[in-house]
Amino acid sequence: MQTLFPLDLPALIGVAGNVAVVVALGFGFGFALEQAGFGDSRKLAAQFYFRDMTVFKVMFTAILVAAVLIMLTSALQLMDYERLWVNPTYLWPGILGGLILGSGFITGGF
Amino acid sequence: MNAVRKGLSWPMAGRYLNPYVAGTLLGLVLFATFALTGHGLGASGGMSRVIAAVQGQLAPEHVVHNPELAKSIGGGGHPLNHWLVWMILGVALGGLTSGAISRRLKLETRAGPRLSPQARWTFALLGGVLVGFGARLARGCTSGQALSGGAVLSVGSWAFMLAVFAGGYAVAYFVRRLWN
Repeated sequence: MQTLFPLDLPALIGVAGNVAVVVALGFGFGFALEQAGFGDSRKLAAQFYFRDMTVFKVMFTAILVAAVLIMLTSALQLMDYERLWVNPTYLWPGILGGLILGSGFITGGF
Repeated sequence: MNAVRKGLSWPMAGRYLNPYVAGTLLGLVLFATFALTGHGLGASGGMSRVIAAVQGQLAPEHVVHNPELAKSIGGGGHPLNHWLVWMILGVALGGLTSGAISRRLKLETRAGPRLSPQARWTFALLGGVLVGFGARLARGCTSGQALSGGAVLSVGSWAFMLAVFAGGYAVAYFVRRLWN
């Protein structure tokens, strides 16, 4: 049984429609981040001096909310998890890349 | 400062959203992205596509013969016609709009009290190089790997995310003069 989600947007609303939806989703993404204060490098850096836990709170709340909704909709047969893009695991490049990115994060502030 | 504004104004202007509220909002956007497109959010992949497309104009032979670069603009069609590129366009617009309606738009250099703007820019550039390199080495950044990969429980994504925080905390002591 084919679940309703995820949608095949290009088939439903065409290439241009897909672009519009992706831009809108990106808009929501950027909007939420800036509203949380992620535009301020001092606020972001403060996370790593234990003065401002905003980065932790925002990121893990977002992951939790999305993961729970994905699991709920999958359990209700509304979403097909198998059709979702799951990042392939490249463990050591991921760990090394993460360490480097984290170093850059606190150095540059973003 | 106390001028009365006629018409609508953003109730959160001048304040940041509660992080749990912002996180929930972000989580809903992330979920909607999966539900509507089958993939999650992303950012660094879009950047690398744009850069590879520029390289493709300047040094096409180099791009064609480098598997990673060739893949960055692959998929048929125009290299910039890819959801990752459209997404970062949306992110930029969304961030700009949020800043504008919250009256936070300002050309400024945010740095620790003991740092000059020029030093801040230098470290920002260095930090940016590290973030960009790290993101492409890990095949994703905090958006594509941490948030999106994290939400679908990819092991590599969680390892990446923990490494990001580890790296940040580990280096924080050595660059404390930048921020404190």
